Amino acid sequence: MTRKELITKLKKIVKPYVQDQEAFMNLSEESDFINDLKINSANLVDVILDVEDEFNIEIDNKSMEKMLSVKAALDIIENKLIKS
Amino acid sequence: MIGNDIIDLSLAQRESNWQRKGFLEKQFTENEQKLIFAALNPFVLVWKFWSMKEAAYKIYAQQNELRFYAPKKFDCLLMSGNKDLVIFKNQIFYTSTIITSGYIFTLATIDKEIKAYSKFVMPQFINRMIKIKLQDLTSFSAEEIKQKKNKNMVPLYYHKDILLTKSCSISHHGKYGVFSLLYPEI
Repeated sequence: MTRKELITKLKKIVKPYVQDQEAFMNLSEESDFINDLKINSANLVDVILDVEDEFNIEIDNKSMEKMLSVKAALDIIENKLIKS
Repeated sequence: MIGNDIIDLSLAQRESNWQRKGFLEKQFTENEQKLIFAALNPFVLVWKFWSMKEAAYKIYAQQNELRFYAPKKFDCLLMSGNKDLVIFKNQIFYTSTIITSGYIFTLATIDKEIKAYSKFVMPQFINRMIKIKLQDLTSFSAEEIKQKKNKNMVPLYYHKDILLTKSCSISHHGKYGVFSLLYPEI
């Protein structure tokens, strides 16, 4: 899967939790889930569980700690997909 | 230092499903999960624990200028008095929680006896109401009080170069908003 395909899938996953639609339209690798997209911190776990389901991977606690931005999420997904 | 968190219970009910597979396992310790399953109202305890973790995290993040997502590492201990504890990396945070039918509010502090000021306001007026509170306390005009966020997004309030807040924490969720302040000297 290319980085572009990954970002498209990730965008679909985060969409229901995003509270800043303008930031969503401008979503890039640099977007921060909480500060930019205004995803409620209580919904971060849903993003992570959805990512696990969508890509059929397991996000361990150590990876989860870093999952605060699009870039971090993409790096983690890529890494897990290589290993799986 | 202080940290707070508020949960709009009807929004939490709508937007999160605590019974979703993995939801508890990823965020709550074994002991917390046990208490949740044994609770009369598991939903409320889930969100009480969550708000305790979040309030304690906000202090840690302020102290260390770090951001991360590791709710499970913040270990909540329910005590018989009016303060509960959250333990993270050998550090103790004292928490007080208010539970109503509409919201759960937790304030975390690092000193057991610390007195902070908290006020519930509508989310869109939080910043304005903090400035008005600081105006009352300092006699600087609210118009001249500015909010600056540090790189960790922690709000700080200044009059020119004078820092007016020792610690400030803001939380909003759904229709509820709250701010908590520790001012330099009162």
